[in-house]
Amino acid sequence: MKKQKVIILNSRQQNKQDFETIHELQEGLEKIDQFPVYTPNLQWFEQIVIQEKQNTRKKLIKDLSVFFIVALIILSGMIISLYQMPAIFILVQIITSIFIVVYTSIRIMKRANHI
Amino acid sequence: MMGEREGYCRMDALIKNAKKGDHLAFAMLFKENYPFLVKYLMKITMNPDTAEELAQETMAKCVQKIHLYNGQSKFSTWLVSIATNTYIDQCRKMKREKNWQGQEEIFRKLKWHFESRNEEWNDCLEALGRLPEDVRIPIILKHYYGYSYEEIGEWMKISPGTVKSRVHNGIKSVRRELKLGEETKSHYPEQQTTK
Repeated sequence: MKKQKVIILNSRQQNKQDFETIHELQEGLEKIDQFPVYTPNLQWFEQIVIQEKQNTRKKLIKDLSVFFIVALIILSGMIISLYQMPAIFILVQIITSIFIVVYTSIRIMKRANHI
Repeated sequence: MMGEREGYCRMDALIKNAKKGDHLAFAMLFKENYPFLVKYLMKITMNPDTAEELAQETMAKCVQKIHLYNGQSKFSTWLVSIATNTYIDQCRKMKREKNWQGQEEIFRKLKWHFESRNEEWNDCLEALGRLPEDVRIPIILKHYYGYSYEEIGEWMKISPGTVKSRVHNGIKSVRRELKLGEETKSHYPEQQTTK
């Protein structure tokens, strides 16, 4: 019984101390809120928006170009192998299909084991 | 009350226009929220220069992600979530590149700002600055801005339980750091009373 009382008193004291710490923290943080912050003019913000949109556009064009170039290389390789070396073409097709089936089943099994 | 509603409507209109690609609407949105954003970043980074750099980065990310903003929360809350992630990413990157200065120095500049404005430096802020950023951020978000554990967990990509324990342990270590002297003094009398 005495022990319980001591524990309750301790936890109450701890809560009070926590509350005081939080209050002090809030006071300190409020002081930061009172700091004057220089806000640039509207043009500066507009410039950031325009710059970012240009960057996004450039990145999109770059990504699309890489995608099309890689796709073109793969497709030309496939077409050349189909007409020049049909055996290799069929072999690549078989290996790719087996790889996809094996890879997918391993992923599904791993997920099932994880659950 | 009316003014607040008008403010919301104005904000909604600006967001709609920004989503349509209006640069000016974006700029107005950012200008209005800039002081709030910088002050939030100042609190979590404890460095005014880093706060301004991160504010720019946050705005750039907002431009990229504006289509993801669904209007369920306030625009400032959305900014806080993006700013939080930007800062966490920056810390991870710096740790990876081994540019991490550690927790000791980060509040030095803020302290200097306090002194230059003849403001009294709060020891609590120093204790907060010594905490790792993944503990400092949830404490500020919970106890200063009043966000829920669920919201903070969602932004920081951790469970609400983890947020709660980080906040609790963080407060405990701030308290320990602040009252270390007092606790060691009062340690013996307290034991005597329990006996």
